[in-house]
Amino acid sequence: MNLHINQKRSLWWSLSGLVIGLGIVAMAISWQQFGAPLRPGLDFVGGTRLQLTHVCTLTESCTEEISLDEVRQVLADQGLESSSLQLLGQDRQTLSIRTRNLDVDERSTLQANLEETVGPFDINSTQIDTVGPVIGQQLLASGLLALLVSFAGIVAYLSLRFKLDYAVFAIVALAHDVLITMGVFAALGLVLEVEIDSLFIVALLTVVGFSVNDTVVIYDRIRENLKLHPERHIRDVVDESVNQTLARSVNTTLTTTLPLLAIVLFGGQTLKFFALAMIVGFLSGVYSSIFVASTLLTLWRERSGQIYGSGEDAPDDATTDPDAPTPAEQV
Amino acid sequence: MAKYQAWLALILALTIGAVTLIANSLLSENPLFPTSLGLDLRGGSQLTIQVQPTAAIPTITDREMEAVQSVVEGRVNGLGVSEAVVQQLGNDQLLVQLPGINDPQQAERVLGGTAQLEFRAQKAGTEQQLLVENEILQEHLADLAQVQANLPPTGAIDDATQAEIDAIQADITISEAAILDLFEPSELKGDKLTDALARPGNGTQWEVVIEFNNEGANDFAELTKSVAGTGRGLGIFLDNRLLSAPRVDVQYAELGITGGNAVISGNFDAVSARDLEIQLRGGALPLPVEVVENRTVGPTLGRDSIQRSLYAALVGLALVLVYMAVYYRLPGILADIALVVYALLTWAAFVMLGVTLTLPGIAGFILSIGMAVDANVLIFERTREELRAGKTLYRSVESGFYRAFSSIIDSNVTTVISCLALFFFGAGLVKGFALTLGLGVLVSMFTAFTCTRTLLFVVLGMPQFRKPEWFYPGISRLTAPRSATP
Repeated sequence: MNLHINQKRSLWWSLSGLVIGLGIVAMAISWQQFGAPLRPGLDFVGGTRLQLTHVCTLTESCTEEISLDEVRQVLADQGLESSSLQLLGQDRQTLSIRTRNLDVDERSTLQANLEETVGPFDINSTQIDTVGPVIGQQLLASGLLALLVSFAGIVAYLSLRFKLDYAVFAIVALAHDVLITMGVFAALGLVLEVEIDSLFIVALLTVVGFSVNDTVVIYDRIRENLKLHPERHIRDVVDESVNQTLARSVNTTLTTTLPLLAIVLFGGQTLKFFALAMIVGFLSGVYSSIFVASTLLTLWRERSGQIYGSGEDAPDDATTDPDAPTPAEQV
Repeated sequence: MAKYQAWLALILALTIGAVTLIANSLLSENPLFPTSLGLDLRGGSQLTIQVQPTAAIPTITDREMEAVQSVVEGRVNGLGVSEAVVQQLGNDQLLVQLPGINDPQQAERVLGGTAQLEFRAQKAGTEQQLLVENEILQEHLADLAQVQANLPPTGAIDDATQAEIDAIQADITISEAAILDLFEPSELKGDKLTDALARPGNGTQWEVVIEFNNEGANDFAELTKSVAGTGRGLGIFLDNRLLSAPRVDVQYAELGITGGNAVISGNFDAVSARDLEIQLRGGALPLPVEVVENRTVGPTLGRDSIQRSLYAALVGLALVLVYMAVYYRLPGILADIALVVYALLTWAAFVMLGVTLTLPGIAGFILSIGMAVDANVLIFERTREELRAGKTLYRSVESGFYRAFSSIIDSNVTTVISCLALFFFGAGLVKGFALTLGLGVLVSMFTAFTCTRTLLFVVLGMPQFRKPEWFYPGISRLTAPRSATP
């Protein structure tokens, strides 16, 4: 298998552009609907979420599904008509209610009324999340700060190890991955009502860390090949470097997404979408390092007249001559 | 060869050590390093408390935070939750973790709420009024209980009943205000109260001991002197609601109760005495606090999470192991061994560092399993390239390691940079994830360069394993034409 990625540059870029464009459309629609680019979860808008599960030791309480109408009635009595309801679990015995921010007395009243109406709940399976709006802002602020700091750290490190233009395109590829992941989740928010929580921010940051990892391996190869073959055209060098690292890119992405897939399949409710966000990000990351970061670097070098390697790209410790004896101990 | 044997011995020793540590932490009665589970795994409540500045205290300094924290800690202790943790978050927040609590409502009530405690002397000539007002209040409360008990089981309240409830609530408020009005406002507020304690008194009765600071002691002496022996009460109000109105014995008419200590006794049982104690202590908070976040997870849900994560981890690990063995053959199997060693070492590191395991933390660990093989993949791919170039097996493996080195370093450093950013700027759960992932990346670099390497060269030292086919299926076809041309 041999990819001539630089031949079809515009195709790869259009593909990315299309997906990002769709994502931006989804984010725009979300913005209209929720005032945020993605459907914000409890962590960001504040509110109260109650998850209650029937006690199933009493047989009569678990013979039928929890009646949502009854629950709605209870909510309406407390003036909480605008709350959202969900039944969870295979036997539909778990009720998840999301309301505006309730104080402790309102919450107790609601729980007591629900107990009375739809039957006894298991205290050990109850989950309560109450988040004030302040907390969400703090989360978002600290998440964005972490994102910017890691961007800056990565640029600094790559500029040090490579050259600035490498770093810039690595960041472009990064932004590409973040945009695609956000776009996919904006669409999921519109279609499946998937909400994003603070873990989504964590997933994005992990994607950032890992997507660069992929790009760096390819860059590392380009740097090495430029040093070995200063007479070759940048286009060929990049093509060859991508092909040489292709198996590694695919394998590493696979081995990384396999455990995440296991989390999606077997992990709990909380982690499912967290893992899915990372899978989307990693797949987009492997695509962007192969088809975007490398081709942009080629274009830039062609435009700026650096068609042939000058050997400047490589720091002293980068590689050795392939035929030099390696410092190995002979068996 | 001797060098590799030494390495092998070291890896073996580390692995055995790790297994021993893990086994000890899981199975022993009192382990060396107890595993601490986050509340999302063991169940419990995590509350974030926001301390609000007041006109009197416009900026909240560390000193104030300290005071609030000590009071909150006192309240937490009052809840009787073992292993509760109170930490300061940022400049004006406290994080309270209450493992295994089964009444989050009570916790939130006790911890939050802006308590305003005030001791007031009853006005002269209001004895009868107080009795009457109190009777009225009790009636209202009884009415309310009655109405609520008679609510239809469907929970549907018609407008008439709702109006009735609202009316009773309004009456209660009026009554409370009327009672408050029977007492003289005073300077003796909660900030002068240093402690309150419920203790068994005579027989089955309980009593509450209160203690004031110096200024409070003087105020208290004044107050008690004014009502001593008159039959009038000393009203203790929390948020303008009468908690208790104890009378003061005539023997204190001369000087009041001095020394800043007093005992409130009366119709207390253990529960009501304890309630009063907690309320009094809560009233001693110098600043208003508010619970702005409450995350409560039932213990059953936590156990469920652990089980699911364990499945996910094992399945994820198995998938990676199978994939590596199938794709990379012999080196893949060696990488698998290294991966298991990696998993054990990382887990042992968590145990030793006392990392609190949270759900995202476990996710970080599972993810790091997938990332850990990356270094191996880089090395093996390089080895294959060298084999294709017609080098001997030994030389290919050697230069595979040598050449993959810079890629491995560069690519892992970027991940570590992200983890550092997450760790230093993220909050609770995010921190756990960053820590486990970052630690995992560091350990994986170590295992790739020591464990995989050692195993490979040990294997290469045995003639029966020196078959390029086992390293690269189909390599003979690729290199055969080459060897025909000089």
